[in-house]
Amino acid sequence: MKDINNDSRKPNVFKTYQDLFFKSLFFVSALISSLMIIIIIIFIAQKGISPFLSSYEYGQQNIISFLTGMVWRQDQAIYGVAFIIINTLISGFASLLIAFPISVLTALFVVKIAPKPIGYFIESAIEILASIPSVVYGVFAVGFIVPLIQTLANIFKVQTAGGSSLLAVILLLSIMILPTITSISITAIKAVDIDLEKASYALGASKTQTNFKIVLNSAKSGIFAGAILGLGRAFGEATAVSMVAGNKMFGPTFNLFDITRTMTSTMLAGLKETTGLDYDIRFSVGLVLMGVILISNLLINFVKNNIGKNHA
Amino acid sequence: MRKFNIKDLILDGITYLFSSVSLILLVIIFIFIFQKGFSSLNLELFTSPYWSENYYASIPASNNTYLLKSTLDSNEYYSEKFGIALKDDFNARNEAIVVISYVHPDSPFNELTNSTSGANEGQIITAQEGMIVNKISYINSNGVTRSAGPVIKQMAEDTINTIEKSDQLDSVFLQTQGGGIFGSLIATIMLILISLLISLPIGIMTAIYLNEYAKYNRFTPWIRSSIELLTGVPSIVFGLMGVLVLFPITSVFGASGTSILLGGLTLSIILLPVIIRTTEESLKVVPDSFREASHSLGANHSQTIFKIIIPAALPGILTATILSIGRIIGESAALIYTMGTYISDKPELLKGATSLAVQIWSIMNGDQPNFGLASAISIIILVMVLVMNIGVKVLTRSKVKKW
Repeated sequence: MKDINNDSRKPNVFKTYQDLFFKSLFFVSALISSLMIIIIIIFIAQKGISPFLSSYEYGQQNIISFLTGMVWRQDQAIYGVAFIIINTLISGFASLLIAFPISVLTALFVVKIAPKPIGYFIESAIEILASIPSVVYGVFAVGFIVPLIQTLANIFKVQTAGGSSLLAVILLLSIMILPTITSISITAIKAVDIDLEKASYALGASKTQTNFKIVLNSAKSGIFAGAILGLGRAFGEATAVSMVAGNKMFGPTFNLFDITRTMTSTMLAGLKETTGLDYDIRFSVGLVLMGVILISNLLINFVKNNIGKNHA
Repeated sequence: MRKFNIKDLILDGITYLFSSVSLILLVIIFIFIFQKGFSSLNLELFTSPYWSENYYASIPASNNTYLLKSTLDSNEYYSEKFGIALKDDFNARNEAIVVISYVHPDSPFNELTNSTSGANEGQIITAQEGMIVNKISYINSNGVTRSAGPVIKQMAEDTINTIEKSDQLDSVFLQTQGGGIFGSLIATIMLILISLLISLPIGIMTAIYLNEYAKYNRFTPWIRSSIELLTGVPSIVFGLMGVLVLFPITSVFGASGTSILLGGLTLSIILLPVIIRTTEESLKVVPDSFREASHSLGANHSQTIFKIIIPAALPGILTATILSIGRIIGESAALIYTMGTYISDKPELLKGATSLAVQIWSIMNGDQPNFGLASAISIIILVMVLVMNIGVKVLTRSKVKKW
């Protein structure tokens, strides 16, 4: 009996080491998870820059003509990414322009206006839309949006490549980023302080005035976070876009009914039978894509802060 | 005062209008996909390979007549001499074909001998319903071998009439229909297993670290935001990363190019933020009194975690798993880079294959896009995604327990 008592008073060495072991194990996992983003950036940057270094095995490329070039021809090994960046920006921002008002008003309706069952119903519909894989959206775009645009083009008597067009990309992307922006806006609007609304009503504002002037303004920060995520998705969306973009070899494309070429469609085009420079240059495009997403995020943040100043 | 009301009315009207957009879109998408793909959807789709197989086989001699016991449809033509019925059909590319619609149980077509040179030469093949008949060679009354069937532009009726005139059939050129998704189905299951096997432990352990250990650590915000950043990375960039960072790992195991293993590894990194966030949310709702009670009973931190906290957070972990499976099923861009686009009927761990989603992409980007099959696979994916969505909803409802 005496021994046992003594034992239990001592710190349990096994338990201490067990704790230490698991703590380190959990820490290492967290470290791996958090280092992944840095690993991704470093490796893609290294590979993406390599074609422009003198040591490149398939012949050094000119980085200036890559960044300012308006022609992309795999067959002639001419790689200019400038018009592709512009195309990507056009389709991304245009789809944001369509999806943003729809998303924000849908979110407002779901949280503040609709009766609970209807709000829940629409929210579920948005969740389902968000979980539809991009390749299914691609099938839908090829079978539904593209013929629709062909019909439109026939009505307006414009030339189009069977319907694959900038307009198809924009419509497709607006459908795809709609649920992203909506669900984040819903969260943002739900978080608005009820006291602000009560104060607005007390001052004699109508429900609609309160919704538009108080609720949306207070939820602004979250709504713009949704817009940033939506824009990132629009820029990074690959499979569905490549099914309807048509991959034009020069540009930029401003005509809605003309085919276009985005960064992601470029990265996927003809991937099956490619090697050497044509394969490696895709990593450079990927690097540019990451840069574009980063810069546009900063830009939206800037816009958001400025809107805040106007209302304050 | 009235002016304001009109303005309100307009704004409300726009809100109602815009809110209906997502609902309308969802309905259009579902109706469209189901309408286009439903006719191509059948049970055989799940079990049959994508590529059609060719059999060149010799037919044993027979002198019997095989009387038909059951009745056949008017578009099926039956040969009593050889016990086989053929009918006209269209393949996925809308080309006219002749398929076997019935084989008599005693028919010589049940014991064909494979005469295609190769490993399977001499094997016994059974002609099955649904196989495409390209050519039937027969020996005519002069002892000369002649051909019948689509190869000389005969459809089912003419083919049967021709072979009925002959006494002896020589050989037959058969083709399986193909156009199935069996290989992609297996590859998708392999992908799910590999990526969850890697991603779940790392993700759960990271969540435990963030919630149980690192609460007041000054590195924590840094770790958290780098994981959060992963959410915003486009999936195609993960594909590039897989090729650069993870390919050396798979090549240690003997992979020489794109492979299912590489796809699985890449996916496991895509899944990390989802798993970490969902698990952490479920850890957060485990009340502190649980931890305190466990500690006061003499358990150390790791015992508390494994015996109290993880069991309590299990519904959250299950939610994370379901969300991950949904993501794996839908992922395409990253897999195109890491697994390739060649549809494999016998997927192997260290070889390229396609998941269901990539098979759709592959079909749509091929020389002859098969829209029906692509829509049929889309239906399968949509149904899976829907079921998982409902599953997550049910789980999150049951998870909100009052401790």
